This record gives sequence, structure tokens and C-alpha cells, in this order.
Amino acid sequence: MESLKLKKITALWIVTVITLFIVAIVLGLLMRLNQAEVISEEPLTFYSNMTTHGLMMIGIWFVAGMVAVNYLLQRYVNTSYAVSVFAFVFTVIGVVMLWVSTFIGKFSTGWTFLYPLPFKDIGASSWATPLFLLSLTVLGVGWLVWSVAMMAQIFRKYSLSQAFAWQHLFKKNPTVETPPFILITTITLVGVIASLIAAVIVIILYFAEYFSIGGFVNDALLMKNLIYFFGHTIANEMLYLGVAVIYEIFAEASGRPKWKTTWYVSLAWNTALIFILTAFFHHLYMDFVQPQGLQIVGQLASYLASLPSAAVTVFSIIVAVYKVKTNWSIVNLLFFLGVAGWVIGGMGAIIDATISNNIVLHNTLWVPAHFHTYNVMGNVLFSFAFFYWFSTQNINKLIMSNLTRVTLAVLIIGGIGFLMAFYIGGANSIPRRYSVYPAGLASAPYLAKIGFTFAILYLAAILVFFFNISKRCFAILSTPSSPA
Amino acid sequence: MFRYIVYTFFAGLSLLTGLSSLSKSQTEPIDLSEEQGIYTKIYNAPLRVYGESKINRINQLYQQRPLLLAFVYTRCTGICNPFLLQLKETLELTHSENNFQVLVVSFDSYDDTSTMHQAAIRFGLNNNPQWTFGVTDRIDSLNKSVQFAPAWDSIRSQFDHEALIVGINNQGYITKKLLGIRDIHDIKLMISSINNEFIPSYRLPGKNNLLSCFNYDPKTGKNTMAIGFFIIALPATITLIIILTIVLFTSKRKTL
Repeated sequence: MESLKLKKITALWIVTVITLFIVAIVLGLLMRLNQAEVISEEPLTFYSNMTTHGLMMIGIWFVAGMVAVNYLLQRYVNTSYAVSVFAFVFTVIGVVMLWVSTFIGKFSTGWTFLYPLPFKDIGASSWATPLFLLSLTVLGVGWLVWSVAMMAQIFRKYSLSQAFAWQHLFKKNPTVETPPFILITTITLVGVIASLIAAVIVIILYFAEYFSIGGFVNDALLMKNLIYFFGHTIANEMLYLGVAVIYEIFAEASGRPKWKTTWYVSLAWNTALIFILTAFFHHLYMDFVQPQGLQIVGQLASYLASLPSAAVTVFSIIVAVYKVKTNWSIVNLLFFLGVAGWVIGGMGAIIDATISNNIVLHNTLWVPAHFHTYNVMGNVLFSFAFFYWFSTQNINKLIMSNLTRVTLAVLIIGGIGFLMAFYIGGANSIPRRYSVYPAGLASAPYLAKIGFTFAILYLAAILVFFFNISKRCFAILSTPSSPA
Repeated sequence: MFRYIVYTFFAGLSLLTGLSSLSKSQTEPIDLSEEQGIYTKIYNAPLRVYGESKINRINQLYQQRPLLLAFVYTRCTGICNPFLLQLKETLELTHSENNFQVLVVSFDSYDDTSTMHQAAIRFGLNNNPQWTFGVTDRIDSLNKSVQFAPAWDSIRSQFDHEALIVGINNQGYITKKLLGIRDIHDIKLMISSINNEFIPSYRLPGKNNLLSCFNYDPKTGKNTMAIGFFIIALPATITLIIILTIVLFTSKRKTL
């Protein structure tokens, strides 16, 4: 089925992703320690760490989803090994360039690099901005080529209507069945490609202003719209990559029959595509020049983007396990918990995406609370479920050892405690992105300390997972290739 | 049947959201020249005020309280009187007399302290401590610092000028300008601005800003969507083109 070469590159990706994840967690821990006033970082160091942490987390979990989808796609279509290697090389180069721009050049605008911050003198080296933009270019090119290549392989086998499962909308038993994995992957890749193209346009516009030396200036509103088209959409799509993997593996890992595409699954994901691409407008609620109509679109799309896909997925998961004998393993447990985290984080997001709430919650700790929820306790668990599944494919029956149970419990306790510190802070209007809190926010350093403590537990669990998964991945990497 | 009801619901919803996105910008129409010279310091002109020897310069006023500076002249048969009358009535409606004061300066060399005092009496403002009517010997420098350029029309023996109010904060910086007779909303914004409160503003398109989201039409005073807004749709459009291209190139090689 899946070739050894594909297995090897997937194993390499997995080890790289988890290693980078641990580095990014450490940066996050340092930020919380600084906010807790346990250590004292220079503001520039804090913000360059924040920039690296944010961009790395987005990048890591996006590629983790892509790696999983790329591997599983091989079951239906031929995927290119060369393109996967190409994307890996570009990702590594891009990350190194990013680190140089932030750790050495002190580029520190935050991962959203909102205009005109990259051009403001806030203490970074003069070369840091172009290097940061170049790092994004390298990452963007690698990922765009990867996404387009996958999309091309899908369309080699499936027609446009089949890939989007339109035949399921009007016929109960269509002659050609589209697997849910193909449907969700296609829908997600459309969003991924659109968001990466938005990033390309943003980078071109930044470079145009940089090299024109005043001859051309950008429009702040346009830049913010494009940046969130890219940033919000890709942050959402990486979740959907994880959901595609759930549709493919969850039933299999639970010893249940494979899920099929029905008319409501097709409808949910096709409508989700439209709403995912327009939900980013909710990032501009505070931008008074944004037309009011787009603010309304932002709110409606935020509701409608998450509800159909989440509702259908949750329904499918519950039906799959409710009063059904299920072979629970670390794989389907992580998927199950991940869906719960995704839904809880999604609720937090919907609360924040409601205009009347956003007036209160905007730029408070509620924002990192919700997006950390569906990443830390959602997307990360999806990916780790895949990593476990991938690395244990040769094992007939996965047994949950006591160590695994304890590790999982520590992960959940750590994750929930870490997130609660954010949620309580957000509900108390503590602002986000402060390196040091002013004296008036007395509870903020205290909450940061609590958040840090629980995050240590989470990190400990991740380290155990890393050890378990990476030793098996290294075994795959060291498997000799059979002679041709 | 149920599925068709659901489809109709989503189709209707999409149509509604599409239509609502066409609604106009939230920004109020603003005049281009109002944006010039903002956040520059006002010229600290010498002042002469009727019966007042303590006030010698403008900074003595704005250092006490932020200042609204209005330009008029007493021989004016045009905008000056309705402008000042409207300003007086609007300011009364704001009920915010404690956080600013008003200086009315003549830009006509014909005027002196007594003609300006007469004007104050005419408007019933001579005993209002919030209002000061005065003249300056350095009106050209003052005009220049706020980019106000009245032109003498010898045929009508009148100045050709705009009705200008300049908002100055307590550090002497121009924070906002208003041209023409303006409603209470604009005046309130100006009062907030001179008290260093946040005032939303949007950078107007210039020659080097090619991709603005809005086009401002000075004739109609309206903003319309410009090329920048259409660029927001570009990623989705390019994606569609890429997908259709892929589909086109792979359509003859289907393996299913």
C-alpha cells in the first residue's frame, strides 16, 4: 500500500514536527514566566519569542496535518514523494531563516506581522524584516507547491463534482462514491491554497513598499484583510486536515466499518468551504473603516463555518462510539479527546466572534484561550493520534499501558489547567500580548504562574509521547530499502 | 424533501450575506484638506483681547484648556455669521463646557479688539468665559501654521475663505480640523480629539497609495469601494483558476 519511501519521509516529518513543537512550547513557557514576573526578559526578546512561537505553532500543525493527509492520500491516489521532500527542505530552510530573523535580528511584530509594524523601528535589525518576509516566502512556496500537487493528484482520479462529492447531494446511492477523506481533503486544500495565495500577495505588497522607498505605500485596511485571510484561514484549515484524518482512521482504529459520505456530510463540507473563506472578517470588528456588511458576513460565517462540519463530525463520532463496543486505544482516544477540545475551543471562538461580545473580549486573554484550546487540546491531539497510528501500524493490537494512561491523564490535566488560566484572564479583561502587566492587573502575573505550572505538566506528557513515537519513527527511518 | 429545504435555506442565507456585503463603508465622508497639517504645532501667535491684559499669546489659552480656534472677520457678509452662530448653538448642545475653550480670531487687518468685542456682544458671548474674541499682529504666520489661505476679492471687498475650526490640544498640537458648518457629531469628535481621546481616522488615498480600499469623491463627499477591496477577493479567484486549470489538464486522464 504505502511505499517505504513515503513511510520514511513521513517518519522524518513527524520527528521534526515534534522536536519543533517542544522548542515552541519552551518559548511559550518563557513568555508565561516573564508575564508571571519570575524571569525578566527584555521587551524585544519577549516579542521576538512571541513571534517565533506563534508562527512556529501555526507552521508545525499545518505541516503535521499535511503530512498525515499526504500519507493517507496514498490509499486513493498517487502522491509525489519528491514534492514531500521538496516541502520538507523548504520548511527546514524557512524555519532557520525565521529563527535568524527573530532570535538574532529581533524581528518582533507578532506572527500576524500587521502593517505597518514590520516597517516601524522597534529595535529590530534593519535586515530582519526582509529576512522574515523571505522566510515566509520560502515556507509559502514549499507549502503551496505541496498543496497544489496533492490537489492535482486528486483531480487526476476524481472529476470536479466527484472530488467535492456533489453527486451525493442529489442521489441517495450514486454510482461513484466519494470517500469522506477525499471530500474533506479537497475542501481543505482549496482553503489552504487560497490562504497561501493571500500570503503571497501580502508578501509581494510588503516587498513592493520596502523596495520602492516611499514611492508606493500600502493600504492598512487591505493588508489587514489579506493577512487575516491568510492567517485565520490557514489556522482553521490545519484543523480540518486533522478532521480528514479522523474520518479516515477513527473507525479503522476502533474496529468499526469505515465512514461513508452521505448527502448531509457533503452539504456540510461544501458549505463550510464558503464560510471558512469569509469567517476571517471577524478579525476586523474593531476596524471602523471596514464596511458594516462585511462585519455581519464575518459573524454569520463564523457561526456557519464551524457548525456544519463540527456538528456532522461530532455526530459521526458519537454515533460511532455510543453504546457500541469500541476497541479503545491511544489512537482513537486522542482523536476523541481532540474532537472535544476542538468543540470547546470552537465555542470559545464563537463567543468571541459575536460582535457584541467581541467589544468586551477583543485582544484579551480570551483570544489565546480559545485558539490554544482547539490547538493544544484539539489539533495537537489529532496529529499525535496520527503519529501513534503511523508508528504502530505493524503492531496487531495496541495495548494501553499504565504509563500511557498516566501520561494521557497528565496531558489532559496540564492542558485544561493551562487553558483555564487564559480563560479566567480573558473573562477578567486581562489584555493579551503584554510582556509585563501593569500594577493595576494584579491577578495577571498570578494567572500566568498557574498557566506556566500546568503547561509544564503538558510538556512532560508531550515528552513521553515524543520518546514513544520518535523511537518507532527512527526504526522506520533505519529500515533498509529493499533492492529494486 | 428535507434536504431541499436545507439547500434553500443555505442558498437564501448566501444571497442575504452577499447583498449585505455591498453596503457602504462605515466611514463618514471627510474633506481632503482637513487631513493636512495634523499633529503639527500651532504658531504661538501674539494675541490682543478687548479689556484683557493677561492673555498675550495663544499658548496661554491652550495650556489652560484645549482650544477650538475659529477664523472669522467682522466685515464678512458671507459664511462667518452663520458659521459662528451654528458653532455656538452646537457647542451648547454638547454640554461639555469644562474640557475646552473657544478662541475666535480675525484674519482681517481691518479688525481690532473693539470690533471683535462688538462681534462677541452680537453673538451674546461677551460674558461667556469659555469664549475669547481677539486679533493678532501675526495673522499670516498663524494662517500658515494651520494652512488657512483666505484670498482678498477686491471686487466684492470680501475675503474668499472657508469656515475653519482648528482643534488644538493642551500641548499646542493641531489634532483635528473641520471645514464648513458641521454637525454635533463632528464637533464632539473634535472635542474628544483635543482632549487626546482616540478618534478613528482612515488614511486618505494619495498618489503613492495605489491600492486603497476606498475612493473618496470630494464633490459628493462619499466613499466608494476601490481596487483594494477587490484585491481581497483575489486569493479566492486565483485559487478557482488554479483548480479549474488542474481539472482541465487532468480531465482526459481520469483513472476512476
